[in-house]
Amino acid sequence: MDIPGFRNTPSLSYVSLTPGFFLDDGTPTGGFFRDGRASSLDVQAQLPFITPFEMGNRDAAEVVGRLQQSPASLQAFIAAYGSQALNDPKVALADIGLAIAAFETEDAAFHPFSSKFDYWQAGKVELTPVELQGLALFNNPGKGNCTACHPSQRQGYSEHPLFTDFTYDNIGVPRNWDIPANAANPVSPVSGASLVSYMPAGPGNVPSDAEYGYYDMGLCGPFQTDVIDGHPRPSFVTVTTLCGVFKVPSLRNVAITGPYFHNGVFSTLHQVVEWYVTRDINNNAGNNPAPVPAGPDGNPYFPVGTFYVNADGTPDLYEYNDLPVAFDANVNIGEVPYTPPKFSGGQSPTLTAAEIDAVVAFLCTLTDGYDPANPSAYNVPAQCRATASGN
Amino acid sequence: MNYEASFTSMTTTRKIGAALLLGCALGAASSLAEAGGQTETAPVGATPTGAAQSAAPTRGPSSSQPAAPAHAAKGAQDAQVNALQRQLKEVQAQLRELAEQNRALLEHQKTIDRQLQQQQEQLAQQAAAEAQLNAQLEAGGGAGQGGVQSAARQPRPGQPGAQGQAAQSAAGQAVGPAAASNSAGGNSALPGAQANSALPDSTSVLPNATPEGGTSLASFAQGVKLWGYGEIYYTDPLHDRDRAQADLARAVFGIGYTFDSRTEFNSEFEIEHAVSSAEDPGEFEVEQLYIDHQIIDPVAVRAGLFLMPFGMLNEHHEPTSFYGVQRNFVETLIIPSTWREGGFNFHGAQSGFGWNVGLTTGFDLSKWDFAPEFPQYTTALELINSDAGPLHATHQELALANAHDLSQYVSLSYFGVPGLTVGGAIFTGKAGAVPAPPNAPIPGSQRVTLWEGHARWTPGKFDLSALYAHGSISNLAATNASNPGSPNPIPSSFYGYFVQAAYDLWQHGEYRLAPFTRWEVYNLGASYEGTPGPMIPEGDIPLTGAPGDYGPWPRNMDRVWTIGANFYITPHVVLKTDYQHFLINDGFTRFDLGLGVAF
Repeated sequence: MDIPGFRNTPSLSYVSLTPGFFLDDGTPTGGFFRDGRASSLDVQAQLPFITPFEMGNRDAAEVVGRLQQSPASLQAFIAAYGSQALNDPKVALADIGLAIAAFETEDAAFHPFSSKFDYWQAGKVELTPVELQGLALFNNPGKGNCTACHPSQRQGYSEHPLFTDFTYDNIGVPRNWDIPANAANPVSPVSGASLVSYMPAGPGNVPSDAEYGYYDMGLCGPFQTDVIDGHPRPSFVTVTTLCGVFKVPSLRNVAITGPYFHNGVFSTLHQVVEWYVTRDINNNAGNNPAPVPAGPDGNPYFPVGTFYVNADGTPDLYEYNDLPVAFDANVNIGEVPYTPPKFSGGQSPTLTAAEIDAVVAFLCTLTDGYDPANPSAYNVPAQCRATASGN
Repeated sequence: MNYEASFTSMTTTRKIGAALLLGCALGAASSLAEAGGQTETAPVGATPTGAAQSAAPTRGPSSSQPAAPAHAAKGAQDAQVNALQRQLKEVQAQLRELAEQNRALLEHQKTIDRQLQQQQEQLAQQAAAEAQLNAQLEAGGGAGQGGVQSAARQPRPGQPGAQGQAAQSAAGQAVGPAAASNSAGGNSALPGAQANSALPDSTSVLPNATPEGGTSLASFAQGVKLWGYGEIYYTDPLHDRDRAQADLARAVFGIGYTFDSRTEFNSEFEIEHAVSSAEDPGEFEVEQLYIDHQIIDPVAVRAGLFLMPFGMLNEHHEPTSFYGVQRNFVETLIIPSTWREGGFNFHGAQSGFGWNVGLTTGFDLSKWDFAPEFPQYTTALELINSDAGPLHATHQELALANAHDLSQYVSLSYFGVPGLTVGGAIFTGKAGAVPAPPNAPIPGSQRVTLWEGHARWTPGKFDLSALYAHGSISNLAATNASNPGSPNPIPSSFYGYFVQAAYDLWQHGEYRLAPFTRWEVYNLGASYEGTPGPMIPEGDIPLTGAPGDYGPWPRNMDRVWTIGANFYITPHVVLKTDYQHFLINDGFTRFDLGLGVAF
């Protein structure tokens, strides 16, 4: 029970609008968990019960045992599925998954669409000039270009924009040393015991000469589809071009669901956006012809420093350090803002510090729970009020 | 010759008669014909004011000469002369038209004669074969009439030499388009269905049987019309030679059927870019499918999916009909050629005026893409093929089209003066919106309007033309305001115009060389509501996501010089070349070659 997890927990709000995994003209799309390894919402709901580093039940029988010790839940289960279902633990767990999925689908609390942005789209409230500027930068293909993967327009999945196209992308985020598994010798932060035996026995995609022993590479591993999944998605274990891709999450409620990215490496939106626009400018990378050393002297735009660090906190001038070098080619480099527009003077980040503030201000309008009659009660966390200078 | 023009072959007989009568009556005026000569006309491109008359004809400069001051008697005489001249010119115009149609009819007649000959030959062969077979059957004790039938005997449209009795009755018929109202009887809705199809019918097998009142095969074959055209392009952007492309732009075939002198059916099918499948860039589509019926003499009705009578190119877009390897930008981006809608119209032509008024489906704005991540086009060829034109992006093509909001149009043209065609049209209607995802209806209701005016004048060996088209969409402020920062908001108005001059430089037999030049201007976003305009990224941006592929985001307007030539090998086959210089998106400047065929 003291096995730490490996990934940042994804939000369950709006999860029922995620399509099941499918290949859209060959492009992996949809599916549940950050690597789409559960084909449907009810399968996804079952897996945390029996995953060692989540709720840690040994198997379905143990789950059923615990259910039988919880009278209220047991009564509700029998009322819905009958007591026969308890005879086969696998069926019982499947029914539990169905019940949870039904709750997430039917209860409006999971998809209220009550953000300030939704009210603005309905014409019931005005966005502030900064928020509007943020949305414009979000949409502009030469500036933020965020809408390319987080569309601010309606797609086919809902009447409202969901701010994700449910595809998978490898953006080369920095390694998060707070995840125990990422350490050179992973140990449990609780007991100090070695975690080696609990590491996922993933596919051998990690080359033997890689810098570290463990890499979380999303669609190609290390977590695979579970046997309880009746319609598992295809395995991409051998598709090494997909190593490092994770599903694009929705940006709804993003202001209150930090930390960010599959490994939770960033804790504020400002850091996230800043990293996006300086990723290949700030650091040494294969596609940066004129690498700028991080630090106050080297980088005129963001003197805070590099985002890629070694385990000891020193700057790691080697970028994309959460991927083996062999898979660096998988990182998305062809789009703005990774590849900023070229001018005669060279390339620079597509957003200035003030523009980053505007984008963050816009993202903060995606938090549900806005009441036009009582705007001051809106949930605006501290990071929404921070500015570049105060960050 | 294509069969899409509003003048159809079925009116020919009447027109020939009328024109001849009129010509005889004005025989006395023939001496004035030489004096009449060239008419003074208004400059190409301006609103037509009708032919200005003068006693001394001149060519060239457009201003009409003031009428010479005259005594009253001489004035009256002049007026008489002028009136006669006017009538004569009308007749001349009609005669010219009829001559053209006559030529087509003669070709048609030759084809039918050929088919008839073939059928007769095959009939003779079959008669011999059947005689043999009958002899065998009688000898073999009669296996039944059914044995004689075979799948090959099924009547197939246009195939000569299937059924014996068809050729038999055809021999007794007049051949030619007038025979469309043929002596074999009235219409058959299902050609060949009566009496002589797959059913083993003893009477149908024997060569001497004639089906009562039904359509015979030869007359069926007469009624069938087949036509088609194709275009191949080679295009080389001279500043961006990596993007040179060759494309089988269109392969089009058409099938039509003339039921009788008043009713006909036409359909046209198109394959673009050679291969149509989910993974390939091509498309296979129905371009037209309609029935045309002459209600009374001046009025015909057309219903189905038909071409909109706008501009000069939309209805006559075969590669042999226009100058330039590809269609001009104004009639592709502003008037969304090939523009067709579903619905019905009434049309007719009289005394040099043509008119067309209709009710059709319209446009669907919910298809609009506000957030293209990469430019929709990076070459002029892609511009033509993409959905950059506002009406191209929103056309429904009668594919599960929304029909709650219908549109209407009026089109008028004047061709009473020989060598001059002037026309204009206007279309307007509310934009429909398909409510189900993935389309997202935009708020409010919008009205889409398109109007155009054009003129074409062919004095001597010149071919001069001009066109102006303007489109507008209303009530877009809220929509564009909810997509700030978009590089592709919906424009409130867009327009284009061109002037073109071609010259018949050289002719030898069927060979003909016609160089031309054209100046055109288009603006896909002349004005916007709810946004200052498209937020175009500056600098060189990634164009496709492929590493290293950088370029400027294209501007949605341009001014283009084109110079080139059409070389006709026959009137049906043309080799084309042109050079196009773009003043704004100068990366689009290109050299093109093309091959076109139309029959």
